[in-house]
Amino acid sequence: MPYFEDIELGDQIGPVERIATDEGVARFCDVWSPPTPNRFTDAQTARESGMTGPIVPGIMAMAMMAQLLTDWAGPDAIRDLDVVFRQPIPHNRPLTLEATITDLRQENGQNLAECDILMLGAQGERHVGGKAVVSLPSRG
Amino acid sequence: MFLDLHCHSVSSDDSRATVEQYVKWVQVLRKRGYVVDGIVLTEHRKFDFDKDYSALADQYGVLILKGSELDTRYGHFLVYGVSEGLTRDIDFSDVRMDARELMRAARQHDAVAIPAHPGRFGIGLTEYIQQGESFPGVDVVELLNGGGRAGENERADELCQQFGYLGIGGSDAHLTSHIATCMTEFRAAIANESQLVDALLSKQFQPVRLEATAGVPSA
Repeated sequence: MPYFEDIELGDQIGPVERIATDEGVARFCDVWSPPTPNRFTDAQTARESGMTGPIVPGIMAMAMMAQLLTDWAGPDAIRDLDVVFRQPIPHNRPLTLEATITDLRQENGQNLAECDILMLGAQGERHVGGKAVVSLPSRG
Repeated sequence: MFLDLHCHSVSSDDSRATVEQYVKWVQVLRKRGYVVDGIVLTEHRKFDFDKDYSALADQYGVLILKGSELDTRYGHFLVYGVSEGLTRDIDFSDVRMDARELMRAARQHDAVAIPAHPGRFGIGLTEYIQQGESFPGVDVVELLNGGGRAGENERADELCQQFGYLGIGGSDAHLTSHIATCMTEFRAAIANESQLVDALLSKQFQPVRLEATAGVPSA
């Protein structure tokens, strides 16, 4: 786990590559329990919604982005995650998750690192982008 | 001088970067040896007459100008030199406006309207030209856009080659660390929106990527 004092503006988290497979989305939906049929697991419902195929739920995409941060800074590190969904996320395609540290500050006794966070497609298309704030331990 | 002609602050609904975060990040880029002289905020479908960034500009030594990015039925257009008169004649919130009418009105009000990311798949000017539309008022397009997917800037380049358009560059940043990834290099010194319009009309500019500014003396 990184220490606050060791982080600099511009430091990168990731990139890591993930694929949201049909099976992975189905398992997520089993837990999440959205109404069925839905555009996340049912191709016909997705087409009726104007999609070319089933898409990854936004909340699952956020979970994947959150995992990028918790894998880096620990399970209770996230203080804020605020994202914009720009394009539907297809199943079974490589997704790149990455973040860039843009601000470091101490606030209310916490050592906070703010970062831009992105989920990109294979062609560099931005599926999801936003910012996050994580709390980091201090060496002191 | 090097200006990022296309970026969005939190005044746009899909951005998560404040203007202060942008100008702070410019300091990071400068420490890395890059040259960024200023940015032009091009908020979606609006112009922020009420926002004054001069204190931030002075504090951080970054020129901060304002423009707009408007939706039209023929794609997005960047508008520089926005005045109250232009906003009276053109409804900035009208996403179905005719871009040709926007370009005409802009010139009547000493502003310029330039197609943004013309190579963007689905919504770029290239798509509409391929459908048979013509845009005689266009002579400059956004050739370098920092927000596109692979192939889009190449399509914009093909458009410029085909029609002899000149190109500008802008990051299309919606996040702090994306500011200034693409810019426009001007020969003229620019200190306000009116001078920006004059510099664009002079055609003495070229699009550049941030990396190309490394080691270049600052204006």
